[in-house]
This record gives sequence, structure tokens and C-alpha cells, in this order.
Amino acid sequence: MTRYVMVIDQRRCIGCQSCTVACRTWNELPLDIIYNPVLTEGVKGEWPNVHRNWIPTLCMHCEKPACVPCCPTGASQQDDDGTVWIDYDKCMACLACVNACPYGMRDQSKLQPALHRFVRKCTFCRDRRQNEPGRDPYCVQTCHQKARIFGDLDDPESEVSKLIGSVETFRLLEDMGTGPQIYYIPDLGGTAK
Amino acid sequence: MAENPSIFDEDVQCIKSLCYFCHANCGVLAYVKDGDVIKIEGDPNYSSQGGLCCRGTSALLHVNHPARINHALKRVGEKGEGKWEQIPYDQAIQEVADKLNQIKAESGAEAVASAGGTTRTDDWARRRFLNQFGTPNGFHNALLCWIPTFMAETCVAGWSPFETDLGAARSLILWGMNPAASTLGGMHGYTDLKLNGMKMIVVDPRYSETASKADLWLPLRPGSDAALALAMLHTIIFEGMYDINFVTEWCEGFDELQDHMIDYSPEWAEPITWLPAEKIREAARMYAMNRPGCIQWGCTWDQNGSTSTTASHALALIRAICGNLDIPGGDGMPGPALNFLTDEELELNELLPEEVKSKQIGSDKFKLTSWPGYQIISDNAVRKWGKTLPTEWFCEAHGPSIFKAILTGDPYQVRALICNATNPINSYGDAKMTLAALKKVEFLVVVDYWMTPTALQADYIFPAAGALERPTIITHYGATDSLMGGRRAIQPKYDRHTDMVFWRKLGLACGQDPANWPWETEEEAYWAVIEPMGLPINNYNEFVDNVRMYFPPLHQTKYVQNGGFWTPSGKVECNSSILRELGYSGMPIYTGMAESELTTPEVAEEYPIVLTTGGGFMPYHHSEHFQMQGIRYLYPDPYFCINPDLADKLDIKQGDWCWIETRRGRIKMRAGVEPIVDPRVVMCPRGWWFPERDGAADPDNPFGCLESNVNTLTSVDDWDCDPMGGSWNNRGLMCKVYKCGDLDNVFRSEDAQFSIPGSAKEPGIHMTYSEMKTCREPIPFEKPAPTKEVPEGYVWTWQDDQLYQKGTGFKLDESGWLIDPKDKSYVDAYTGWHYDANQQCLVDTSTGKKYTMDRQEIQELAGVRLYPGTAEAPFEITSQALIWDAEKGYATFAGAKGEGKIFNPDTQWVMGIEDNVYYDQHMGYAYDPNENNLVDMETGARYTMSYEPINAGVAEAHVEADAAAAAMADAGDYADAQAAAEASDEIAAAQEEE
Amino acid sequence: MRHHFWKWPIPVYLFLGGLGGGIFCLSAVLSLILFPGIEAVPTALAWPCFIGICCLGFGCLMLVADLGQPMVFYRAFVKSTSVLAWGARLLTVCMIFGLLWFVSYVPWDWFRPVADLFVFFRGLNLAIAGIAGTCIMLYTGIFLSTLKSHAFWATPALPVLFTISALSTACAAIALSIGWWPATTSIFTEAGVMNILASQECKHILHTVDVVLVVCEIVVLLVMVLSFLGAGNKTANKVAHKWVHGSYALAFWGGMIAVGLVLPELMYIFLDGTIASSVIAPVFVLFGGCLLRFMVVNSDERAPLPGENEYFNKVAKRDAEFVTKWTYGENIY
Repeated sequence: MTRYVMVIDQRRCIGCQSCTVACRTWNELPLDIIYNPVLTEGVKGEWPNVHRNWIPTLCMHCEKPACVPCCPTGASQQDDDGTVWIDYDKCMACLACVNACPYGMRDQSKLQPALHRFVRKCTFCRDRRQNEPGRDPYCVQTCHQKARIFGDLDDPESEVSKLIGSVETFRLLEDMGTGPQIYYIPDLGGTAK
Repeated sequence: MAENPSIFDEDVQCIKSLCYFCHANCGVLAYVKDGDVIKIEGDPNYSSQGGLCCRGTSALLHVNHPARINHALKRVGEKGEGKWEQIPYDQAIQEVADKLNQIKAESGAEAVASAGGTTRTDDWARRRFLNQFGTPNGFHNALLCWIPTFMAETCVAGWSPFETDLGAARSLILWGMNPAASTLGGMHGYTDLKLNGMKMIVVDPRYSETASKADLWLPLRPGSDAALALAMLHTIIFEGMYDINFVTEWCEGFDELQDHMIDYSPEWAEPITWLPAEKIREAARMYAMNRPGCIQWGCTWDQNGSTSTTASHALALIRAICGNLDIPGGDGMPGPALNFLTDEELELNELLPEEVKSKQIGSDKFKLTSWPGYQIISDNAVRKWGKTLPTEWFCEAHGPSIFKAILTGDPYQVRALICNATNPINSYGDAKMTLAALKKVEFLVVVDYWMTPTALQADYIFPAAGALERPTIITHYGATDSLMGGRRAIQPKYDRHTDMVFWRKLGLACGQDPANWPWETEEEAYWAVIEPMGLPINNYNEFVDNVRMYFPPLHQTKYVQNGGFWTPSGKVECNSSILRELGYSGMPIYTGMAESELTTPEVAEEYPIVLTTGGGFMPYHHSEHFQMQGIRYLYPDPYFCINPDLADKLDIKQGDWCWIETRRGRIKMRAGVEPIVDPRVVMCPRGWWFPERDGAADPDNPFGCLESNVNTLTSVDDWDCDPMGGSWNNRGLMCKVYKCGDLDNVFRSEDAQFSIPGSAKEPGIHMTYSEMKTCREPIPFEKPAPTKEVPEGYVWTWQDDQLYQKGTGFKLDESGWLIDPKDKSYVDAYTGWHYDANQQCLVDTSTGKKYTMDRQEIQELAGVRLYPGTAEAPFEITSQALIWDAEKGYATFAGAKGEGKIFNPDTQWVMGIEDNVYYDQHMGYAYDPNENNLVDMETGARYTMSYEPINAGVAEAHVEADAAAAAMADAGDYADAQAAAEASDEIAAAQEEE
Repeated sequence: MRHHFWKWPIPVYLFLGGLGGGIFCLSAVLSLILFPGIEAVPTALAWPCFIGICCLGFGCLMLVADLGQPMVFYRAFVKSTSVLAWGARLLTVCMIFGLLWFVSYVPWDWFRPVADLFVFFRGLNLAIAGIAGTCIMLYTGIFLSTLKSHAFWATPALPVLFTISALSTACAAIALSIGWWPATTSIFTEAGVMNILASQECKHILHTVDVVLVVCEIVVLLVMVLSFLGAGNKTANKVAHKWVHGSYALAFWGGMIAVGLVLPELMYIFLDGTIASSVIAPVFVLFGGCLLRFMVVNSDERAPLPGENEYFNKVAKRDAEFVTKWTYGENIY
């Protein structure tokens, strides 16, 4: 079996938002759609002993996605490899999934013609992977810092398996119980110890 | 996402291109279908490892942006009215050329100036034009970016040590540099190495993205870099942490430096830099005790106004006395490229008349980065390296002084300005003065992608081809010996042209010699650049496809092989002779900041907050990309950084629009309240303008170019500029900040009125260029008189007491021979021919002809030297089969067999003169390289290399069958030919078995 | 944070769906369980049920209109597991069988042959529509409460609240409209008299039921909101604060509790028999039910990701000048 996950290394991320823009251009997204915002909690601490982390996000491709069972048309679906994606031809934009997602990672564009809207979100660049197995999602490739690492969690030799096995990681909103598959390696260092 | 078309379609071509949106030039793969790029992505096999930032990934949106200028535009309304007529490109070129020629005839060529921006490559083309046109007044924003630093470092060690060898480094100083927002490819390496234990020191007044990853972060007072550098240098010297062996062996004047530095203690620097003395010492120790180490160049050094070059000079000395020059893990000094053409060789500097060099505006004040300094440094580089720096970037007019000359006519009236890839209103200091100059200049030509505030004032606008529409070659402005290339993905769209083509067309239209513009396209020009490398390729595109990145064999510690550094004295000059010759101090002297609470307390009273500007910030670059919607969406408004403590005191909340005011005007920005700057400091992003507005609607503030532009607040008065490099002050200005009131939230023209010298309170021209002094008086310097007789055609350098040939720069050796610095070979002083030690002859490298030591031309036949008229062979002939032909001067086989053949004593083979066939010298058999055996051409019998016969019958049958197959193939009978070839192979196989 | 994805049609639909479902539920109970065989009762209820059908139909229209791609709404019937798909089917069933039932009461002569066809199935049709209606009532609340990312919705109290509110508004709607056409309203016929009697009886029962329901609703609503206020996770707590003493306080206390529940309750009890009890109170109840749906749907706060709010506060507005200024495909220069 294959189980695609992403590891995000906060020790490396510098908040440049390249992934955000890269995703936008590769997927030809309307302006108001952002698949992978790079969030930050802001600077913590008192000047000059401050520290900051960035939290790059994207669809969590949950183990038990909240967005799939609530879809009335079956447009939202999950592949065997864990990829959650939307068949745009089936989506009627009822927004049930948008409201179901605990991470707010789905949205429809208001800049598209009113009667041709559908819900979108990150698909781990399904098009790239399907056409050329082994090709990383575009946000992974474009990251200068290599802060995003993509791979198969079921393959014990993959970089993601090794990282998750060896370094302490956390996941966002784990208590929502959807089993998010984006793992974060925290940056505890910086100048503020 | 349903992609249509997809990059995986069959007819999609993948072209290796390079990003063109900042100086990092990351690798790009462009997927091209039917002459259009459909997608791009980072090239994983390039040094950027597939990375592409916001700017790079937006390239496609850039190519097709609806606001791009696509045609040559001629002004039809009033200046700045925004009324244009589209005219054919070549017609526009001719009209511009006629006007320029007219101005040249009336006022001299120097009345035409040219402002450059970040074209990022091909800068030589502009200089090639200007040199032929005859004006020295080309300029860039170079003074704020690397050039003064480069020159100061070259004065200290002979070249800028800018190529950090981080892999082996144990410490790294990132000073005034935020690669996490500027050169992301580099940041990747820094992060890797830091995680592996390299010590990373970041000097930045802001808690930058980079500082968040540092081991030690020094949040100094903006603008106090020079004081900090001097204090660190002091600490390293007086705590004895310098590399004593290196200093003893390779440095000159260290004792003088030690005496000079005695007062610049960390305690002295403490009130200036706001850093505890102990922290300064800690940083100095971290760098000096973790050797080898690197100091990455940072823009700040060049943007501190009056103290700029002092800072970079002090840093150059820190690096030098720690022995971190040109060693593994230290800062590498590449030198000029010796095996391909440098930018300088493409500039035709020899065509610029000598007398106009002194007319270069600013060269009488800021000598280090203009002709006076360049000439000394360049002459020295020719003597020491064999090649030199380009004049573009390294030898330029002082930009702000040109704008003042337009307004005041002092020192003379500049009448025409060509802006290439720059928007000076936003990128040069004192924006309102620049705007006034651009409005006033008689003839303004702009080459740009966009309708910028500058372009709006133009008489002619030319559309520029950008990323993906042009090939890109990276040579770091001709300052390094490596080279990287990318191909053109698509031909320029519409009537867009690349910069080189623009300058070429303009040059030809001005009547310049077509022989001086031999290349029609970049590809041809780049091929001329790389051809001398001798790679097995035939054109530039093949270079990109097969090589892409060229690095010369890494040669570190070159100064050891070279027998010295590349300074005039051959040592690292702790008391720079070049600087002294130019009338500056040879060692760094602290003069104090142009504005600070210590130097100008009266200003600080009204303007108590320190303003720093100029730092790059993602996702913009300089004043670019505000049109790119996908980028702008994430960062729609200008936010300045302010500490929550200060914001509380001023009653400013996150996102509030605020006024930031200096003595020279005020601008509006939104507050970004975060504890990432000192509570006494605010930091503003640079270059902001509003391309979405209607430019013509507000002629005093077109496209809002003054409203949120920090350069409205900066000063370019000569006494605020660095007296060596001429850089003006972007860091550490005094300002006040207050919230926009309900009735006071609209920017009006009186908020930014220009004056020379700069003060918003007294608009107007109070002082002209000639009246304004720099902040430091020149130090008189008398060159020593020659200690020996200087022959005609030679110059004597006082630093190393040597004679050099004029023009070539070859050193005159005591033996009477000249020495070429490129390869240390001997050169005949009379003819200029190089001595070839292997063949013991002289070689004229320009023609390839060889000469005897008596300067007689050596005749050659098929690459073999001839000795006509020599009775006895001058080399030993071992074979009985050979005879010496005294008349012709070579050995060959006796009799008719020797016809058309020549014996080569170097290879010990006889060669066919016409056909390049090799013959065995003893038996006369021909050598078959395919079978690796010998063939008797008379009988067809074959022999092994040791003359043992090979089963002739089979071999012959095989050869014959092959010949038959070939004949059939020639006749077009391929099926039979294939059968015959198979039969032939069988025969050969049978032969193998035997 | 990006939220408020659902605009006004959705709460309107939830309200109308619950109302329509409730009407059928109550009609079925009254006709088939409380007064089996008394033909005047279902006849008197025909008009309220017609209004119920209209509510459901209009609700459906709202639902379809709110879709980004309305033309593919039929796909909602294809997949079986999602709550929403079940809702769509129930709505359809309820409307079809409700309509068939109603048709049999249409008194127009020319229509007689058609209407007669369905007379025999009246009981069956109403039973099916009633069951489906009951399910619709339940499902609106269940649907929201399954969207667990919204802490304020993800509580078992919500389906209960919605069901009670649906029944209560249905009582009010029936009370307002019972006994009209197609029942004979003339008091000079036997049918007319029966109709009035049946209507009176039903109104009386519904009045009593509504008195109880409104009390229940007040209790459930307060329990739900106040328990979120007292405990609950951070997000639900925040929303509860908004309701109790934040930006929704006026709508909550003044609109929903006072006007929507307490006032009609008082009118029902103390002004029984007056127009206040028979007309004004039911209108207030309907208003309260509608307001409830709006307030609940707009309380769709998620637990924010760290920094999410700051991020989306900073990005541009969709109508920023630089967003609308340029259109790809056009060339300015």
C-alpha cells in the first residue's frame, strides 16, 4: 500500500510564500483561492529575545476526511493512496465539504462565473504524480528551503518515514479526529532559547 | 486541475531556461508548445535544486500581463499626460537616434546620460553603445549595491573575495543580508550548514527571516555598521585572534593598522551601535575562533551613506587578517575569467575618448567607483590578473548628481537620459528630486516592461523582452570566472526586444560601425563569449543543453601559486595604497553617521525615531512586481515594522495607516506591529508604488510614486554620501511617526517638495553640485619618484618597484623577458610572442604562428615542424625505412612510398599529409583505429600491433562483404544491404572463433 | 478566518424545510392517529399542507439557487451515504406524496377525474409524506451537527432544538392557515360546519402542543447556549459569548428569546382566545424560528489554525483595485 503524507520542517521554513504562489500558478487558480497559506503565529517573546515560526499549510489529506462522507454527489473522494480530491465535473458547490473541513482548506472562488463554481483544494498535485510517478507536488519542488518533504509513509525507506520515525513531530488540530497526514517538525530553537 | 494543454503532451518541448526576476537567476524548465510556454517549473538539476520563489513562479503571468508594454510608444500629449501613439520599433529607434545625434552635435556626447537598473545580464551592451557614442555618463544604482564594497575589497586584497566556500566553513557572518527574502537558493545552503553545526552570525536591526535561524544575532542600530565592524576588527587585533602566520607572510602594514585601530574599542562602539560591548566581542570571537569562516556580502554596507565604504573596508580587513582569503572554507577570490570573454572585453572601453573620462559626473568627488579609481584598479588588475573589471557597474557616473545636473545645469547641462530597466523615481534616493529631474529633462527614453512613473514622463518608450523571452548568461557582471546559462524559451512577443538588441539597433541607427555590433542575437554574442573555452559544442544552445553550468577547476589558495596577492604591492594591503593614491585614508576612519542622535542631536529632538529602509522583502524585488496580482494579493499594502512598545506609545494599532516623516517629506504606510525591531526603530519596505492607479491623474505623484515610497525620505546631498563610493544613505535616518488623522490622510504634493540640498521646508535649489562638498576633505598624496630608469613604453609602480609594459600590463623581468600574469609564461619583449617551453619556440597567440628563438618563422606541414636546408635530421631516426629529405626538411619513407607522407618525431608515426592516416614507421603499414590493427595497403594483409599476421582470408572476406553491403546501401537497396551486412558480421564472428 | 460560506438561502431553506416537514408530520399525526376516519380533519389540513409543500418547494429552490453549479443538482440523488443526499431524497418524497395527497382534495369540477384517482391513496400518501416530513425536520439539525469542525453545531442539542423549533413553527403555521380552501368554508353547509369544528379542535390541540414546545425550546436553547458559555471548547465558548453578550446579544435576547419565544408563550397562555394568541403569537413564533436558523448558520466559527485570522486579514480584498484593474487577454500598451 501507498500512503502519501507530507512532512513540513519548521526548522527550515522561512515564510517566503513561494509555495503559495507556485501552487497558484501551477494549478492556474483564481486570485482568491489559496491552497496552501503560510501562516505564522507572529513573533513571540520580548524584544530582542524573540522567536518566530512559520506554519505552511495545505489540505491535510486526512485519514478519515470529514469532507468526503458529507459530499452528496460523490465529487469529494479519496484515493487508495490517501489523496483526497474533488471531481469538478460532479461537484455542485453545495459547500457542505467546505463547512465540514476543520482546517478551512476548501473554498470556491467568487471570481469565477456565478453558475460555474466548484469547490477546490489541494490534491497533492495529483496531475503531476499520475502523469509521472515519483514527481513531487509542485509546492515541494519549488521550495528553495526544502521545508516540505513528500513521500510514502508505508515505505519504511522513504524520507518521510525516516523523519517521522526519528524526529518529534506534531499535527494540527489533531483533536478533530480526522487523522491529518501533514506532519510538522517544530523549530524550538532560534535566538530565543 | 484539469490541465489543458498538459506538459505531459507529446509535442511539448522542455527548454532549460533561467529565471530573470532577481540576481539569483534560478534554473527554470519551460514547457513550450507551439511557440508558447504553457508551464514552468524549477530545474531540479540546476544549482537552485528545483527551487523557485514567488517571483520566479509568476513568470508566465509576467509574459502575458495585460499591462506589459508591447509596442514602441511615442508621446503625443504633454509630458506625463499618458497619451501615446504606437509606432514601429525601428522607426522609433531612428527618431531617437537622430535626436541623440543632434544633442551630441550641439552639446557634446556627455550631455546624453543613461540610467540602468537590474537588467541582470548583458550590461556590457549598454556600455558598448555609450563608449562608441562617447559619453562617460552611464550609471546604475550600483553604488548602493556591492560596487563600493567590491572596490574597497579589491584595494585590500586585489579582488573581491565574494565567493564563499561555505561547505568547509565553520562560521558565517550574514551582515545586512537577508537571503531568506532575497536569494533563496543561498538560504537553503545556509540552513543546511547551520543544522550541521556551522556558526551563523546575523547582523540585522530587524529580526529577519534569516535572523530567526541564527546562532548569534546582533540587532544593531541601523546605520552603525561601520562602528560595529571597526569594533570587531579592534577586538580581533587586540585579543590576538588574527592568523599570525598569514599576517606575517602575506600582509603589509599590519603594524600601522594596529596603531590606527587602538581607539575603536567595543566600548567606543557601544553607544553608537546600541550593542553591549560584550556582545560585540562575542561576535568577533565567534568569527575569528571558528576558522575558516565566511563573511557574506550584504547590501547594507553600501547603503549607509557617509560611512558605507568604511564598513566594507573594515570588514575586508577582518576577513584578511583572519586569513580567510581564498582558502577552503573561506571567501574565494575568483578573479576575472581567463578562459572565456569577460564583460569588460565586450565593452569596447578603448573607444571612449580619454578626454571625456574626466567629464564623468561625480568622478571628481566619488573617485573610488568612477574613472579615477577604476583606472588605477583596472590597470593594476591587468598587471596582476591579465584581465580586468568591466566599466559597467564598476566605473559609473554618480546617479543623483546627474539628476541634479539636469535640474541645475551644474557642472553642465545633461539634456538626454535613457532609462533602461529602471524606475529611478522609486529606486534612487530623494524621489521627489528625481521626479522633478525626469520631468525637466529635455529628452527621455525609457526601455521597460511596464508603464512606470518614469516611463510616464518619457518621450519614447521601448518594450523590453523579459524572462522566458531571452537567453540569460550569468557571469556576475564579469567579476568571476564561472558561468551559467539558460536558453530562450520563446521568441519575444509583440514588438518587444531584448536589451542587447535595443542598444545594437540604436547604435547602428546612430551611425556606429556595424563591425562593432557583430552579433544580431544574444545567442551569437554568448557563443562568442564561451567559444574560447574550447568545449566540444558548436553554439550557445548546445552549451545550455549539455553544460549549463561552467566552473573552472577550483583553484583555492591561488595566491600561493601566484606568489602574492593581486594588489599593487603583491601583499594584502592593510594600509591600501590605491585608496591613498586617490586621496583617501588607506585605513578605515570613522566619520559618524549623517543623521543620528549622537551626530545631529538637534535633528533627533524633532525626529526621535530611527528609520531604516532598503531591505528587500518577499515577495517583491526592488520596485518590481506590484502589478503581479497573484503576488500582490498576499501583500497588498506597504507595511512598516514597528515595535509594539513604540506603537503603544504612539497609539498605533496593527494595520493603521501612518505618516512617516523626515526633514525631507512624509509618506504613508500601514503599521505592522511586531516586536521584530527595536522600540526606537521603524523599518520601511522600499520602492512602493501603485501601478493600478491612473498615472496621468496626479502629475505631482504619478502612480502614487511618492506617496508610499521611502526614497521620498532619503537624502542624496553630497555630504550625506559616502566620500569614496558615493552611496547615499538608506539606513539610520531620523524620522517621526504618527497616525493618519481623519482630516490628514491624503498625500499632497507639499508633503514631498524637492530641494537641493534636501529639506521639505525650504523647497528650491540652494546649492549646486560644484558648491556642495563631501563630508571628508581629500588627503593629499604624493606618488614617490621612480627609483630606476623607466624605459619608453613601460610604467613603474611604486608599491612593488617593478616595471610593466603599457597596454598589456606584462611585467618586465630582470632577465629582460616579459611575464604574462595569466599563466606566468615568458613573453618576448620586442615582438610580444609567448615562449613555448615544450617546443622551445615562440608563439604568436594572435595568429598561432610559431617562431624560432631567433624570431624566424617556423614552417610546419601537417602539424610537424620542418627544417628545410638542414643536412642532418635534428632528431633521432630509429627506423631503417625512413630517410631524411634535406631539401624539404622532413623525414619520410624512401621512394614512392614516401610520397605525401611525413614522419612526426613527437608521435613516432608517419602521417599522410592530406588524409591524416597513420603509418607504422618500420613496416609502413597503415593503422586501422576501428580494428586496432595494422593493414598492409599493398596486399591488404592485416597484422596485430606487434606485426603478427591475422588470418588474412577471413578478414579480407569480411572487409569485402562490408564493402559490398556499403555499395548496396549507397544504391538505396537497404534490405539487401542489411542482409549483406549480417553476412559480413557472420564472417567476422567466424574469424573471432578462430 | 474564512467562514460564512453559506449565505442567506441556506438558513431560509433550513427554516422552510423544517417548517414544511413539521406541517406534514403534524398533519399526519392529527389525521391518522388522533382523528382517524374523520374526513373533516385532513380536509381542513389540506391548505396548511399545501403551504408546507410550497415551503419545501421554495426551500429546494433556495438550495438549488445557492449552488455554484445548479445544473448538476440531480447528482445529489446518486450517492447514498451522505446526510445531505438523504435530505434531498426525503424532500422529494415528502413533496411528491404530499402533493398527491393534496391533489385529491382539489374541489374544481374539471379536475375531479384526476383528483378521484388519488382519493383511495389518501391515507397512504399522507402517511408517507408525514414520515418523510418528520425525517426532514430531524435531518436539518442532524446535518449541521455532523459538520464537526464547527464547535457550535457539533452538539446533540442542535437536532433536538431544530426539531422542536420545526414542530413549534409548524404548529404556528397550521394554526394560522387551517380550515381554508379547499375545505368548505361556508358555515351553511354541513361540510363547512364540520370543517370549522375540526379546525377548532385541531387548533386547540396545536395550541396546547405549542405551549409545551415553546417552553421546551426555551429550555433546550438556553441549556445549549449556556452550557457552551460555561464550558465547551474554546470556539463554541467564543460563539456563546457572542450570543449572550456579544454582537448577537440583541438578536438572541431580544429577537429570539423575547419576541420569538417568551412573548408568544405569554400570549398563548394569558391572551388565549384573542387575536394576540391566534395570529400575533404564531407570527412571532415563525419569526423566532427563522431567526434561530440564521443565527445558528452564521455561527460557523471553526477552531482557527495558528495565525489563520491574521493571514486572511492581511490578504487583499476580492474587489481591490489591482485585482479588478487588469484582465488577462487584454493588452493596454
